[in-house]
Amino acid sequence: MTELKDVSFSYAAAPEKGCIKHMDLTVPDGQFLLLTGGSGCGKSTVIRLLNGLVPHFFEGELSGDVLIDGRSVPKMELYETAAMQGTVFQNPRAQFFTVDTTGELAFGCENQGLPEEEILSRIDRTVERFRIADLMDRNIFAMSGGEKQKIACASVDTAQPPLILLDEPSANLDYASTMQLREIIKLWKAEGRTIIAAEHRLFYLWDIADRALLIRDGSIAEDWSRADMDSMTNEKLAEYGLRSIHDTDPVTIELSCSRSEVFSVKPHKKFTFPTEIPLHEITAVVGRNGAGKTTFLRHMCRSAKRSRRIFMVMQDVDHQLFTDSVLEEVLISLPDEDEEKAREILRSLDLEDYADRHPMSLSGGQKQRVAIACAAASGRDILLFDEPTSGLDYEHMQQTAQLFRQLREQGRTILVVTHDSELIEACCTDIIRLE
Amino acid sequence: MIKLDPRTKLLLLLAEAIVVLGGLGGSSAEPFKTVFMVLPFLLLFSAKKVRTAVIGGLLLGLGLAAEFIPAGHSCSIILLMCSGILTRFVPSIMMGNYVMSSTKVSEFTAAMERMHVTQKITIPMAVMFRFFPTVKEECSAIGEAMKMRDIRFGGSKVLQMAEYRLVPMMTCSVKIGEELSAAALTRGLGSPVKRTNVCRIGFHAADIVMFLLCAAALGWIIWRSVT
Ligand SMILES: Nc1ncnc2c1ncn2[C@@H]1O[C@H](COP(=O)(O)OP(=O)(O)O)[C@@H](O)[C@H]1O
Ligand SMILES: [Mg+2]
Repeated sequence: MTELKDVSFSYAAAPEKGCIKHMDLTVPDGQFLLLTGGSGCGKSTVIRLLNGLVPHFFEGELSGDVLIDGRSVPKMELYETAAMQGTVFQNPRAQFFTVDTTGELAFGCENQGLPEEEILSRIDRTVERFRIADLMDRNIFAMSGGEKQKIACASVDTAQPPLILLDEPSANLDYASTMQLREIIKLWKAEGRTIIAAEHRLFYLWDIADRALLIRDGSIAEDWSRADMDSMTNEKLAEYGLRSIHDTDPVTIELSCSRSEVFSVKPHKKFTFPTEIPLHEITAVVGRNGAGKTTFLRHMCRSAKRSRRIFMVMQDVDHQLFTDSVLEEVLISLPDEDEEKAREILRSLDLEDYADRHPMSLSGGQKQRVAIACAAASGRDILLFDEPTSGLDYEHMQQTAQLFRQLREQGRTILVVTHDSELIEACCTDIIRLE
Repeated sequence: MIKLDPRTKLLLLLAEAIVVLGGLGGSSAEPFKTVFMVLPFLLLFSAKKVRTAVIGGLLLGLGLAAEFIPAGHSCSIILLMCSGILTRFVPSIMMGNYVMSSTKVSEFTAAMERMHVTQKITIPMAVMFRFFPTVKEECSAIGEAMKMRDIRFGGSKVLQMAEYRLVPMMTCSVKIGEELSAAALTRGLGSPVKRTNVCRIGFHAADIVMFLLCAAALGWIIWRSVT
């Protein structure tokens, strides 16, 4: 059994702001619990309370107790908790210790000091069950996000912990990889492991979870049983600010517009990419991982380099904010550094209050909006976005859709690579499929 | 492919640093210096890191060629300095590259354990194996984003340019470093239990050859400096 007993916690970095408030929770063995809620509501913090990172790694003020099988996590050392739980994190780039996949699968068991033969046989078993023989003995740096996340799950599996924690494991995955993740979670559920997953993309977990919690402001706002979950509708979820539970594969969505005016793209040497992009529309670019979506965007940038018409916002916004204030960020994007104009852009995107904030102190959704503001400021008329809503909750996804519509009204052309069918439904007017 | 024990690789790295980078033994160690200049390239080829080896080889060749340019030129001093830097540093960097790219993390920790080095030293060193390629990945992503944003070089903005590049790199590196340690800790790193290491390390013929080579170089340098 896993329990939170009247737990309150605030991070040392923000002591006045309580992050978890008097939370009581009992998760019986074998239950699959889904934690959901908007960004910043405290989902990750609950996961960290359970794996001991709070308070051992992220320090702060903790009261109450967290128990796994009757043992207190805050009182145990991290390496003791390590044997009782396994965690899959959000960022596939930053959760590996070794560089080769086989070493990674062995890592957790090696730390527990298990005998070598035992570790090898566990690796064999996991490789077979997860069907990842083709991923063994490979360099993790040369793998896609979906493959990395599979290896992360597999390395949790070899350690065979009774409790499995997942913190937004699908945030960087496309539809097909997300469905593979679902199969892995089903496998664990069938084995009777306790699973606690924090997630705001609900569609791939909603029908296999036993129970769902809505967290709001660090407290449990709703506790839905299986029966409650069955009678839930998308409309009701939207009222709670949650994402859709319907799984629409973006590749199957049909959309089309007149395509009266088009922008021509030079043919690519290796791939057969579309050569015409409808102007003044919001076009979704969909396709499986490895279909060359990002390559397509890069190719467009390169082929139109001289005309200075194209601006691209990459997937990881952390890489593309350089300066020490939001205003400065927009200023350097403007062709002429005009402060009045920069403020106007910020105002139109509802960002004026953040003008003097350091970009790195903003949340993921806010950073995304700043990146969009820079794109708008660049004065170029074709804007490319690579997965702008991965990791955004319902509200921020809708905000992004709203911004796109605004930019279109200004006459811009938007091309957005995405696997978010809700974003496509919310704002796109055309769709391009890459094979 | 020549397979060396991680301990042998560390010894080679040390010997490389002493003989080529440090230039110990001066001109009397010349024959060994040549051997140690060529060795990292052979090893890189054997590890199929052809691209790295070719680039390094060109740089080293450039450095060596510069020594033959007749003196008396106005810029010959600068040339000589550049050539000195290239011939000294390139072989050691190549050896470092070989060691990092051909050693698995678990092999490295196993080797350190056999040498009775404490975990307090081994773990931070093991993290480096993962951290450097990660930072490299980040850097190239940032560079690309800067090009896209059309951040202008030159003029009054040189300092700002450096800042624009460093700020996201530092914040990303710190963030990733933090995430890496958090993930490793939840998987039991640092436990006082004796770690298992699932990998085969041990000395073979190739290791013995390398040991003899290093011993010979050391012996030669000492003998020449005494007599
Ligand atoms: N390391 C930290 N230091 C200080 N505050 C933090 C830290 N991590 C998260 N927070 C804050 O705690 C709150 C809850 O965050 P989090 O648990 O990450 O939410 P979620 O995962 O639901 O998005 C947020 O307001 C966030 O800003
Ligand atoms: Mg989170």
